[in-house]
Amino acid sequence: MTPAAVVAAGVATPIGLDLDTFWSALCTGVDGISGIERFRVDDLRVGRGGEIKKLRAPRDGRLPRCRASALLTLAADDLLARAELDADPARVAVVVGTALGGVEEGDRALAEGGVRVAASGLYDSPAHTLARRLRVRGPVVTVSTACASGATAMGVGADLLSAGAADLVVAGGYDVLCRFVMRGFDALRSLTREQVRPFDRRRSGLLLGEAAALVLMARDADMSRPRLGRLLGHASSSDGSHIAAPHPEGRGLEHAVRNALAAAGVGGDAVDFVSAHGTGTPLNDRIETAVLRRVLGPRAASVPVNAIKGALGHTMGAAATLEAIMCLLASRDGVVPGTAGYEEPDPACDLDVRGTSRAARPRVSLSTSLGFGGCNAALVLEGTA
Amino acid sequence: MTKILGVGLLTGWGAGAAALPEDARRAAGERRIVSMARPAINGERFRRATRESLLGVAAVEAALRDSGLDRAAVAGSQTALVYVTAAAYGASNKNFIVATSPSAARTEGGLPAAPGGGVYFPYTAPSAVPAEVAIEYGLTGGYVILVGGAVGTVDALWQASVMLAARRATLALVLAVETFEECADLWARGRWATPRPLVEAAACAVLAGHGEGVEYGPGEASTFETMAARRAGETLSCAPLVGLALARAAGMSSARVTGHWRGRRAQVVVAT
Repeated sequence: MTPAAVVAAGVATPIGLDLDTFWSALCTGVDGISGIERFRVDDLRVGRGGEIKKLRAPRDGRLPRCRASALLTLAADDLLARAELDADPARVAVVVGTALGGVEEGDRALAEGGVRVAASGLYDSPAHTLARRLRVRGPVVTVSTACASGATAMGVGADLLSAGAADLVVAGGYDVLCRFVMRGFDALRSLTREQVRPFDRRRSGLLLGEAAALVLMARDADMSRPRLGRLLGHASSSDGSHIAAPHPEGRGLEHAVRNALAAAGVGGDAVDFVSAHGTGTPLNDRIETAVLRRVLGPRAASVPVNAIKGALGHTMGAAATLEAIMCLLASRDGVVPGTAGYEEPDPACDLDVRGTSRAARPRVSLSTSLGFGGCNAALVLEGTA
Repeated sequence: MTKILGVGLLTGWGAGAAALPEDARRAAGERRIVSMARPAINGERFRRATRESLLGVAAVEAALRDSGLDRAAVAGSQTALVYVTAAAYGASNKNFIVATSPSAARTEGGLPAAPGGGVYFPYTAPSAVPAEVAIEYGLTGGYVILVGGAVGTVDALWQASVMLAARRATLALVLAVETFEECADLWARGRWATPRPLVEAAACAVLAGHGEGVEYGPGEASTFETMAARRAGETLSCAPLVGLALARAAGMSSARVTGHWRGRRAQVVVAT
């Protein structure tokens, strides 16, 4: 594929409401997990997560009442502070991924009524709010490949650029912590009462988080300004095996990873760093390890791997975009953030994972994502190292 | 140019383009929603499947029949699946919200009267419909799920063409499903914003070819968009596939497919 330039990024996360704070917190091991305060959790087994406690005021106007749109607004403000949308507004596309859309508004609509609230419950509403906020008139696309959405959205964005259907793309993902999703994961018993420990022997489940993450993408050939890096390749796949659980051998994920590497024109031997999906569930981390061992071969044990969900929870639709941004910042600054919660190696997850940040300057990174419905996605990114 | 091998179309009016009335509004009479029954697809695997998932499976079956393909032709990693919906997740979301609310109706045994436990939660995701389809037909290729109205399906046809052009797939299924009945109260609140009647639909197009130079972008309403609205009613994301079915029924060799949603209209041109 034709590489896409990643010009700049903006975020709103539990460990920082802007890119610099987020990155600093990730590198220094700040814990973004706390007791959830925004809604009732006393009837749930687990009431903790990566909740953003206080939203800051937006650059202009007021924050939308819909929290998903509010998080996207803050991430967009952060992005626009770092890069201009210097293109014809009709040629700027918005592609955002989400697992939950505005479902919290749907929940509220059932309780309170109202037309506007009900309309906000449609999953594509926040993307349109973002497009209006950015004053752009190009394609507005909402992707919902569950927790792989942020990666798929960046892939669709790259395709829009490559096809000449847009000159700039604001791509990324978001999701909010709300009772709907907490009740769901609580009922599934996927949430841990302990610390999230990706790839650790004692890992016992995930915790959810909320965030929005956006990147500005452009055709690499058009670039005359500095950039964070490039998206070299992307791919998605379906497991076709189970409605909620990943394929037991990770065949779908392997397919996505191999196709993303092929699209990037590189082999597994070129991968310097892996940002794993790393939810901290016993099954996910074991499957991902097996896939990485098959794709990277003997090098799998020595390629640095991390998972940032221990620090801020699983931010669902935002997760893959945050992880892609992290890959590019690692390359820029020569630091690979540690995997919060990782202390005891698991023989079934014999990868090069560390609990604390380390000096490393990866040029080519691989980012993997999985989601409900057998969704898999992989991104191959190149930093500025 | 991307070639449409076949279109499976199921609507509240029946199966195929031939079942569509000349004037959906007149045919609907006082009905605000023209609904579809749960397809009679049996099997242990489908015991928890939602109506919208089964409609998706049935639409793919109809598309394969129209394409002259069997299941083996689409199974595996060389078939991409692009799914679109504006609102088919509404029913499962509403059920889950109602069932898990503190005031939820309970059975005599104390269990929620509506499906709201952990096993039902994954079915609230838009990815549940294409997941059931992927499992049923053994699809393991490229996988994209879009949420939006008719424009989303134009985007999906383009996305499928991109995957074919990039040799990421040799066949692609573009599937759209819309159901309204379970959320009739919510749709009634917004009746000023959606044309009447809302018509439940599930449609699938089978695409092949290498898709080079696919024509995609903004465009005026096509003849088939107007015809689909008049004959089928409001089918949201299914509308462009209704238009495709009508184009094929009219014997067109190619069609400009357009869709409109939230102030944006887009078009894509395909061989039919």
